[in-house]
Amino acid sequence: MRKINIGLLSVLFLFLLASCSNSENDKAAKDEIVYASSKDIRDINPHLYSGEMAAQNMVFESLVKNTEDGVEPWLAESWDISEDGLEYTFHLREDVTFSDGEKFNAEAVKQNMDAIMDNEERHAWLDLVNLIDENVVVDEYTYKLVLKHPYYPTLTELGLTRPFRFLSPNDFVDGTTKDGISGYSGTGPWVLSEHKENQEAVFTANEEYWGEQPKVNAVRWKVMPDHQTILLALEKGEVDLIFGSDGDMIDLDSFSALEEQGEYVTEMSEPVASRAILLNSNRPITGEIEVREALQYAVDKQSIADGILNGSESVAPTLLASTVPYSDLGLEERKYDPDKANNLLDDAGWELNSDDGYRYKDGEKLELNLYYNSDNAQEKTISEYIQSDLREIGVELHITGEQKQAFLDRQKSGEFDLQYSLSWGTPYDPQSYLSSWRIPAHGDYQAQTGLDKKAWLDETITDLMIEHDEENREAMYAEVLSYIHDEAVYIPLTYSRTKAVHRPELQGVTFNVSQYEVPFENMYFDTE
Amino acid sequence: MKRYITKRIISIIPLLIGISFLAFILINLSESDPAEVALRVNEITPTETAVAEMREELGLDKPFFERYITWVTSSIKGDFGNSFVNNKPVIEEIGQALPATLMLALVAFVMIVFISVSASILCTIYEGSIIDRTIRGFVFIAEAMPGYWIGLLLIWFFSIKLNLLPTSGMSSWTSVILPAVTLAFAYISTYVRLIRNNMVQNKNENFVLYAKARGMKEGIILKRIFKNSLQSAITALGMSIPKLIAGTVIVENIFAWPGIGRLSVTAIFNYDYPVIQAYVFLMAVLFVICNLLVDIVTAIFDPRMRKEV
Repeated sequence: MRKINIGLLSVLFLFLLASCSNSENDKAAKDEIVYASSKDIRDINPHLYSGEMAAQNMVFESLVKNTEDGVEPWLAESWDISEDGLEYTFHLREDVTFSDGEKFNAEAVKQNMDAIMDNEERHAWLDLVNLIDENVVVDEYTYKLVLKHPYYPTLTELGLTRPFRFLSPNDFVDGTTKDGISGYSGTGPWVLSEHKENQEAVFTANEEYWGEQPKVNAVRWKVMPDHQTILLALEKGEVDLIFGSDGDMIDLDSFSALEEQGEYVTEMSEPVASRAILLNSNRPITGEIEVREALQYAVDKQSIADGILNGSESVAPTLLASTVPYSDLGLEERKYDPDKANNLLDDAGWELNSDDGYRYKDGEKLELNLYYNSDNAQEKTISEYIQSDLREIGVELHITGEQKQAFLDRQKSGEFDLQYSLSWGTPYDPQSYLSSWRIPAHGDYQAQTGLDKKAWLDETITDLMIEHDEENREAMYAEVLSYIHDEAVYIPLTYSRTKAVHRPELQGVTFNVSQYEVPFENMYFDTE
Repeated sequence: MKRYITKRIISIIPLLIGISFLAFILINLSESDPAEVALRVNEITPTETAVAEMREELGLDKPFFERYITWVTSSIKGDFGNSFVNNKPVIEEIGQALPATLMLALVAFVMIVFISVSASILCTIYEGSIIDRTIRGFVFIAEAMPGYWIGLLLIWFFSIKLNLLPTSGMSSWTSVILPAVTLAFAYISTYVRLIRNNMVQNKNENFVLYAKARGMKEGIILKRIFKNSLQSAITALGMSIPKLIAGTVIVENIFAWPGIGRLSVTAIFNYDYPVIQAYVFLMAVLFVICNLLVDIVTAIFDPRMRKEV
């Protein structure tokens, strides 16, 4: 009797399991893209920095847009720039409304810009904010931005994902946005229709959208903190798309594995950002230019690109790719050449001790410390690789993984010989990246403090931003970048790319200029 | 009995003070300046003025002891400050995440009790048989498997190969099955071993022999053995309640379960001190209270325990 009972129970249990098998996969035509992210969208207030940029970009739009071909009209149809470069007059589109029905006009632009300026110190990283003098409503659809100095990247910065995006003034709290907002009504192709914190967010197509309608009805942003789970969910068909930069969504091994499996489509953007190693010029050993130069020749970048990064990133001959504005300078590449590295160190007086295989000068050993962010699996492997490369030329490299905040603390204190540096990527490169070199909290600043001309460097960067004349500016960029190159403060490693993995039915997966944005509006499902 | 309970309750007060102090001191042990962290998590460049302003905003410019007192007095009222990341009250964040974790822990608890009791009884009845050995073998393997791995295997098998359950998330009632099984796994093996061994031992006691000699039915004898074997298991089960609630960290991450385990991991990665402090403090309080309840329950059932205090 008991045996029969157990048998019955297990059969029942199986039925129960079978009944809850979900039928999501059997749906005929999908009209919703399921996107997996390890992070929640959080607060997508467009004027603050706590939300996910990809989500902010779906809902909120800017006056102009950064594209591969440069800055293009967006909410502004056209613009005029005054002779002195101080006044930007924007002619706004007249057919735009916020998703709450409020009209988008010059008054709304001004209110948004004022709200951003009301929180000026939060945007201090962005030079444009510091240079805005006045926001003027000229007429209903004409808005004028007045600057204190001419600033050449003005249009590029107006097109960034944040903060210069527009929120319906009805959502402002006490006339501003810095202390929170009461809604998320934007002008973009998507409307945030549902948000269950740490679970999922649903964006539905904005039916009143002024531009081309998105091709699917909705995007479901699912939060899955574990990368393995994301891959399993993709395999099951619960997820359509994984998208991200620098290993934060998909590590490279999984990416290659998926690529080989051939069941999914894997895509990669053009190179977006520069991965480099900072050599601290303000430390005893790396303070010597000969040592810095020798290290440049000692690292086998090609093997890192092929072996560790599986060929998904291209070797970086110089810090910034020649495709980055103002960076095509024909600087001489320092190719892998251990002999040259050895010679340089010999000449600098670092003699090889045949007993232990390391170099010494005046009894001091040539040993250096490299710190990396332990959350990033790639950086660890690359560090180990560099360690063995340097061992070849008699340099002992100690590598230490640190938690992100400790790693950032170290950047600020400058207590490192070698450290990772990742540029901000297009469209932030070169201007915002160079601009950040002047801020002491950045590792770049610390690594450069030992340079003779650091003061000049910072000044030139400051000046070139407000240099109105294109030719002069080009010359200044060339001076800055050549100096940094000659001083060998960075070992350029590779140029990183944004990566996407998706189900074959999903079409139209493309990349925006910024690695932080996901162009969902172009995606659709193949009906075949 | 009343005296015993009062005594025990009074004795936890210094413990709670100690815990609150430890939870608070954590923030000061870290090398990172909380004000800087608070700026960085919002991607604000920590310039000197910005840091100074943030220090003032967070009250970090005040002396250590004063900050501790402020924190404790407001914590008692349920105000743990605001999260650095989203600026929402921490208690609200925890309140939002707690039900998910409680539900997960409850389902896992029911599974643990149900499965370990039935498996132990089976083992005792068929001691030495193939059933007993299979269950014990399973327990042995299950105990050695890390939860992370079990979770991924379960997803792979039940949701991909068999396509029966969702991989993760909290979309329907079926979503709780896999994470609860994963969570329950390690506990089940512990309890099966505990209860089974007790029962097998009791089987050889004199009272069993006497009952058999009196010609009592097998079922009734088994019941007696079972009851006598439960005491240590009840203590252990009682203490596993807070462990289940606090131990959901890995499971919640794998299964994208929006509970406090995940909240705490995210907070740790972001150095979101107010959330970490509140989590550590509340979990410690939970352990202390559960411990107290288990002690009281044991004391009620076993008068010998009361004298020892």
